[in-house]
Amino acid sequence: MSAYSNESLAQMVQADRVHRGIYVDPQIFEIEMQKIFGKVWVYVGHDSLVPNIGDYYCTTLARQPVVMSRHEDGKVYVLFNRCGHRGAQVLASERGNARHFTCMYHGWAFRPNGDLAGVPMRADFPPESLQGPEVGMVRVPRVASYRGFVFASLDPNVMPLEEFLGEAKRGIDELVDRSPEGEIEFWAGCHRYYFRGNWKLQMDNMADTYHPAACHASTVGPDGRQFQRRAGEEGGAALFFAPNGEAIVSQLGVRGFRHGHSSEQSLFDKEQKGGQWDEYRALMVQKYGEERTADILKNRRHSLTLFPTLDILIAQTSVRVVKPIAVDLTEVEIWPVRLKGAPEVISTDLIKYVNITHSASSFIQTDDLEAFERCQRGMQTQGSDYVLVARGVGAEIDEGDGVLFGPRSSEVGQRAKHFAWRDLMSV
Amino acid sequence: MNSAMMEVETKLPFAAAEVTAFVENEADLLDTQRFEDWCALYADDGAYWVPANRKQKDWLTHVSLYYDEKHTMKTRVQRLQHPMIHCQEPASHCVRVLSNVRIESVSDDGSECTVRSKFIMLEDRVGAERRVFGGSYTHRLRREGDGFRIVLKRVDLTNCNATLPMLTQPF
Repeated sequence: MSAYSNESLAQMVQADRVHRGIYVDPQIFEIEMQKIFGKVWVYVGHDSLVPNIGDYYCTTLARQPVVMSRHEDGKVYVLFNRCGHRGAQVLASERGNARHFTCMYHGWAFRPNGDLAGVPMRADFPPESLQGPEVGMVRVPRVASYRGFVFASLDPNVMPLEEFLGEAKRGIDELVDRSPEGEIEFWAGCHRYYFRGNWKLQMDNMADTYHPAACHASTVGPDGRQFQRRAGEEGGAALFFAPNGEAIVSQLGVRGFRHGHSSEQSLFDKEQKGGQWDEYRALMVQKYGEERTADILKNRRHSLTLFPTLDILIAQTSVRVVKPIAVDLTEVEIWPVRLKGAPEVISTDLIKYVNITHSASSFIQTDDLEAFERCQRGMQTQGSDYVLVARGVGAEIDEGDGVLFGPRSSEVGQRAKHFAWRDLMSV
Repeated sequence: MNSAMMEVETKLPFAAAEVTAFVENEADLLDTQRFEDWCALYADDGAYWVPANRKQKDWLTHVSLYYDEKHTMKTRVQRLQHPMIHCQEPASHCVRVLSNVRIESVSDDGSECTVRSKFIMLEDRVGAERRVFGGSYTHRLRREGDGFRIVLKRVDLTNCNATLPMLTQPF
């Protein structure tokens, strides 16, 4: 921690470039775990993963094992996955259901809200040693959710979740409102893969509409079209290049929000029609009315990325979660989403497409991961200490409420993330 | 069997030797990266499936590591041969070894059979750690002329639900 002063950390992020140390220095990674992942709202899971009392879902928060659980009071809790006795990890399976969470080591049992429920041969412990919340599975200081997306913070003084999300919570709305019931479900498991690179390389990429022409060249066929990526006629196979030779996707704009969130404009801006889409539309109009339905289905955003690690893939009706493991090791999860109340074939078709676009064998992600690993290796060099985040500097349009718009694959979204990083790391 | 079924023009039974030669040849086409020839082994209504979960029942209600219908398979092959497939520069080299090939069942009309086998695959790529994959293949084969076409190849990996690195080579 003392290797870097707050000023030196602040200097690492400048108006149009960032220091390579933020990607390759293990000491900075440890500081991030305290100053970023230990301070802000971090996404934990969706409450549809724990629908019934006693359900649990295990994950990590700032690399610490945690559990999201549904207690007898019907509420969702987030606990440290740690026995109050000797610190053993209590739950070892990713998901399950149990009336009590029982530790395999000495048999201590806990209620789904973390309260101590049972201690074998309890009478031999001095009563005062078994007092207090620390003998249970301790609850994470703050937990809040927005439309089923559960966030937690290790900082009891964190700002309210809705303030942290700000304008960017519309991205969650744009996904969830696609359900004729206004509810989504994480029903089909997730894709899970890793790359040997820093988590911020993925974070940058999620606000990057500049890279596809070069990086994803292998997805463009000899006819200049990319493969079909979504069900329905409007899913492709779309022309990749505009008449002037620019990649159409790179002509799209990007937005940066307060607190480091960002969004990308969408390539698929037409409503889907025909077959199940007409049935779907009728159900949507029944729930939301014609005007709101047209607005919801307008596809104005490709994705919305919530700092630090949650990516709402609106166009793919999926959610991406980035999990930092080490300075040069990152895991990525992709969760396809079921739209409750929509014709089932829409949700099942989606799973087929996400297998192609966002799996470990994806036609797209594999080239992204190659880029990340090359960046991690390239940044070991000492030739230049800074990497550019300069695209669109000076051409941003202030839309108010802390929202900046940058056209033509501006890196304004990436700068929003790096400035949020700097604000947190330099205090 | 009734007389109608006796008249069906199929070879009965499927010989273990010819089925074994077929699945070994498929592995050989992949090892030597003759991806177009590999794709041609699949029926037009065929599919290549690698579940992401043990005992996964279908590709509709759970994610899969690969689920390629024929047209997606063709796109995959096209991409593997694309001059600008960056994640294959340098290229991977693989060997797939099969064993315990056995015919599990034959359809009533004798036109299709199900074949199980075990496999191990090594994947090497300069600059990356060596990878080892293994598990079982389940082929649904359909008699076509003197040979077969694949209706469904299902690959069950021992590490299907692990966190995986990027995948480019079919198993």
